[in-house]
Amino acid sequence: MAAAVVAAAGARRRAAAALLSSVVRHQSSQSTSLQQGLVAKTSLTSPPWPEVKLPDPVEEAKYHAEVVQKVNKMIATGQYGRLFAVVHFASKQWKITSEDLIMMDNVLEAECGDRIRMEKVLLVGADDFTLIGRPLLGKDLVRVEATVIEKTESWPKINMRFWKRHNYQKKKNTDAFKSCIWSKVPVVKRLMLLF
Amino acid sequence: MVLLSGPRWLRSRLTDRFWRVQEVLKYARHFRGRKNRCYKLAVRSVRRAFVKSTKARREKKRFLRALWITRIEAASLEHGLKYPAFISNLLKSQVELNRKMIADLAIYEPKTFKSLAALAQRRRQEGFLAALGDGKEPEGIFSRIVHHY
Repeated sequence: MAAAVVAAAGARRRAAAALLSSVVRHQSSQSTSLQQGLVAKTSLTSPPWPEVKLPDPVEEAKYHAEVVQKVNKMIATGQYGRLFAVVHFASKQWKITSEDLIMMDNVLEAECGDRIRMEKVLLVGADDFTLIGRPLLGKDLVRVEATVIEKTESWPKINMRFWKRHNYQKKKNTDAFKSCIWSKVPVVKRLMLLF
Repeated sequence: MVLLSGPRWLRSRLTDRFWRVQEVLKYARHFRGRKNRCYKLAVRSVRRAFVKSTKARREKKRFLRALWITRIEAASLEHGLKYPAFISNLLKSQVELNRKMIADLAIYEPKTFKSLAALAQRRRQEGFLAALGDGKEPEGIFSRIVHHY
């Protein structure tokens, strides 16, 4: 034990872990009279980080399957209330529920009154479950639809640059270039889990 | 013979000075003091206001991001995780929510945020085991990368 402690003072972490594992194996294979739980606990007997133990993989797989079954049942029977979705649209991420209004600084090719489907869904959640996409959820899993309500010009945004004492001044109006679109988002409740 | 005194009576005079002045004053109406009424003072104040708003539009993005990061840090500390651990492990698990969304979820959807924190914690532990475990144990479940092609 003394030799092990002295050797660990060199390259601390790796050596400590390796020696610890070797010591543990030694202890488990032969229970001699010395190692009867009378090991002196020094600062180097165990590594300085907390020991990480993952749950048993078999039990965990059973638990995962149970959870998935439950969520599947809830979705199939429609036992969720209001759903919210995180959608990537117009280069931004939005958290939307049904009957939400969104305004974006962009031009959409759709006309007013057109129904749009947003396909890049990152996350869907209800009160009791959440579906997290890695990074996106499947298109056959969630359906997020919206109606284009309004297409207008934005308020006149003014870009001005000015340097004092240099006779330098520039002013630019950007009201003609941008258009704002309002869309209403009902999240259609058709979800199916596949695994 | 050219009559020169006739044209000299016709001067070109400015007739829409009122509207030119109003164009500037309309942006100064909510200012304090004489600069909301007097053109000479208003011109300077309006010019400064435009320049400041132009620059602020670029800085607003920085402020908001710092605000979101603060909020995410506070929320993840409630679940026992620090911000760098939380964000790095979420990204390693291929969850690509941006900081605005995570901050909104932390405020309005606490259960979802808790599940995200648990995911990050689990991925962190699998990362530790992968780093310390010499490759003999099986790989973690949440560390598997999803391929979409």
